[in-house]
Amino acid sequence: MNSFTLKTLLALTVSASALVSVANAQGVREDYTPVTDEMVLNPPENEWLSWRRTPDNQGYSPLDLINRDTVGDLELAWAWPMADVGIQETAPLMHDGVLFLQTNNNIVQALDARSGDLIWEYRPALAEVPAEWGYQLYQSRRQKNSIALYEDTVVLTTVDARIIVLDATDGKVLREVQAFDYTVGYSYTVGPIVVNGKIISAISGCSISGTAGGCYVVAHDFETLDELWRFNTLDDPNNPEQLASWGDVPPENRWGGTPWATGSYDARTNTTFWGVGMPAPYAALIRGSEDGDALYTNSTLALDADTGELKWYFQHLPRDDWDLDSPFERVLVDLEENGETRHLLISVPGKNGIFFALDRDTGEYLWSQETVYQNSVTSIDDDGTVHTNEDLMLSALGEEVLICTSVSGGKLWQAGAYSPLTQQFYVPLTEACNVVSATQTEFTAGNATGAMRFGPRILPEGITEAGLVEAIQVGVTKSEDAGWKVRQRPSMTSSLLTTGGGLVIGGDAGRYVKAWDQETGEVLWQQRLNAPIGGSPMTFELDGEQYLVIPTGFSAAAGSISSAFPEIPLPSGNGNSIFVYKLPNSAS
Amino acid sequence: MRRLAPALVLGLTLACGAMPAQGQMLPPQLLDSTRPTQGDSIRACVDDDSPGGPLDRAVAQAIGDALFLDVDFVPALRGFPLDGDGYLAEMEIHLNNDCDLFMGIAVQPNSPFPEWAAMTRPYAQVPFVLVVADPDYRSLGDIPLGSTIGTAVASLGERVFITSMLQRPREERWRRLPYADFDLMTTRLLDGSLEGMLLWQPAWVRIAEQNAAASHLRIIPLDPVPQAVVQVGALISSYDTFLRTEVDAAIGALAADGTLDAILGDLGLD
Repeated sequence: MNSFTLKTLLALTVSASALVSVANAQGVREDYTPVTDEMVLNPPENEWLSWRRTPDNQGYSPLDLINRDTVGDLELAWAWPMADVGIQETAPLMHDGVLFLQTNNNIVQALDARSGDLIWEYRPALAEVPAEWGYQLYQSRRQKNSIALYEDTVVLTTVDARIIVLDATDGKVLREVQAFDYTVGYSYTVGPIVVNGKIISAISGCSISGTAGGCYVVAHDFETLDELWRFNTLDDPNNPEQLASWGDVPPENRWGGTPWATGSYDARTNTTFWGVGMPAPYAALIRGSEDGDALYTNSTLALDADTGELKWYFQHLPRDDWDLDSPFERVLVDLEENGETRHLLISVPGKNGIFFALDRDTGEYLWSQETVYQNSVTSIDDDGTVHTNEDLMLSALGEEVLICTSVSGGKLWQAGAYSPLTQQFYVPLTEACNVVSATQTEFTAGNATGAMRFGPRILPEGITEAGLVEAIQVGVTKSEDAGWKVRQRPSMTSSLLTTGGGLVIGGDAGRYVKAWDQETGEVLWQQRLNAPIGGSPMTFELDGEQYLVIPTGFSAAAGSISSAFPEIPLPSGNGNSIFVYKLPNSAS
Repeated sequence: MRRLAPALVLGLTLACGAMPAQGQMLPPQLLDSTRPTQGDSIRACVDDDSPGGPLDRAVAQAIGDALFLDVDFVPALRGFPLDGDGYLAEMEIHLNNDCDLFMGIAVQPNSPFPEWAAMTRPYAQVPFVLVVADPDYRSLGDIPLGSTIGTAVASLGERVFITSMLQRPREERWRRLPYADFDLMTTRLLDGSLEGMLLWQPAWVRIAEQNAAASHLRIIPLDPVPQAVVQVGALISSYDTFLRTEVDAAIGALAADGTLDAILGDLGLD
């Protein structure tokens, strides 16, 4: 009896606490305007509706109140601490006066975009992730790169492999689906795109033993959450070339191939484009694929958005031996040239920092350009055949090779941005090398968790500045003398934003947010904040005032190469925040 | 079982220099800086689902008994990628916040664990074994060259096997396929896709106990490939030097009085 009473009291107390905490956080945004398909494809100029604002992943806003002439006058409008501790990779969105913010552990907040006041907060049931599921815990502390707005909902993907649809007005769960089996290791790293009534997402966790042979881009019906199609990056029965590229290794013994950056979408051809990561185990010597290319790892996939059928693929780094995976943002650009519109896909897809331009209708290789120092690729033929450096491929366990860039990039998840004003693609990069050794170390005896050895990140010989912002002139052919490079000691730690005001905005491990001139690379404004600049800066306009949103916080990217700039100490505090700027008295 | 065969020496030599992926740092606020106050108990983190789980649990209990401490068992971290991505970051948090002892670590020279962790002395030495279906095979050398052998991916046994094959002319090698799912590997041995499978002895003991279809499978010597032997120990926070000394002394006593041998025998690992 006593026991019953105690348990009952405990349960009531817990329930009451939960109710109180929810009630305190909850508000309702009345008269919210739904996001239509047309708005997703062509967002209002003043809004930021998806990860990179538009489904072409350009990361460009046409807003120009904050420009070369006025950026120096920016003042802080408001700031906001993030809801949880973790790595800062947030990508805020803004629609109809509401700023949507995803925080570590899949927490979503809706803030009044003018004031920063909390409207509602959604905290998922983390009990779904058992304490002993270490990898999901690790994932949950990484910010998801993106959420999606569609109709009157917020769509998010979770560390325990669910897709959840929230009511955008009050944060309540409308529906959810367990898209993949998290108990075998599947976990969402990045958010979806939602177009034409389909939620298109890509799963991670594909290097965990239980997920052998299956890593997917997948589409679900927005209304019913029924699965519509899935495409396996590790096993394509329709392509003999893909099957042969793994040598004698059958699908059930393949790992990797994770598409861990949100894809892009071309409404003209109803095609969605996704980048795919490295093969696992990292070294061909261990994974058994010998001199096979291990398709579709390190590739761009062009998929029919209605069926998931593969239209074409292009592999950027065959036979990867060093975890230089190539999943990063694929950017769609249309160019007028000789009276003809050309439809390009541009990207610095991989950690080795090489820029590629492809014809996105055919997958035809157009041209490429190196950025940071790298030695993983020796040459690229005119037909796009990439020659991986065979001299550095690991031929024995324990052998050490110096690989540039490092396992931390080069390029990493921090997205570049394109500006139609200059037809340039601006990319945040890091100069770094590391020693790689194909070896196997059992953390726990007899279990299938081993490791490669990656030495400390070091600068390439003769280079003293880790950070690089590079402007690449985009065209159907390569422009030899266009573009610019700006180097600095601390590494770049945020995505970049381009604006109609002629600015490139981003930040670094030294806690500086900067605005560069798109034309010249000149620093026009900088301000030092509380922590490394992280996540994806964005901008929006309300009531005639343009706002600039800058995420800051804990940065693994900063820590990985911090020995290259020891004069700049990194904060030990977490500090995950957003800082929101606007011009003084700028309302028109 | 506890022979320090040349294979072990080879394996340990090869293991030198092994380190996990870096760039996995996490905010220090995630580390609990309070002093544990669990009194006369010790928290032992054990992964009961791992092949070595029964061994780890039994040894942890024996260590607790030897030190006159109650043992609180805590589910150990697991479920990491083959490449160990994220492992060390989470392990640092886990060891700091949840565990006095993290059981079942492969004790190796040039440890993959950074300065925040220390290893105990090993409490067992357990080999990788070659299991076959064909009754005519008496050792690996009887299996036709070019046949496919399944190996436990990212394991010390696989490592020794790969290195041995690299030292042979290509036409004198056996093919190898890596497996993380040992039940699947057993299925492939039974359906003839594999001619042999190389896995850790506790993993094989579990399969032999649970899979009736595997009853006719048997262990044969690995000759001419050296046998790999894993030394199994526990991880302790490097700040807890007193506990490490006491645990090492307990393991020494349990080895000397035959307790560890008895545990291994009970688990079919003698």
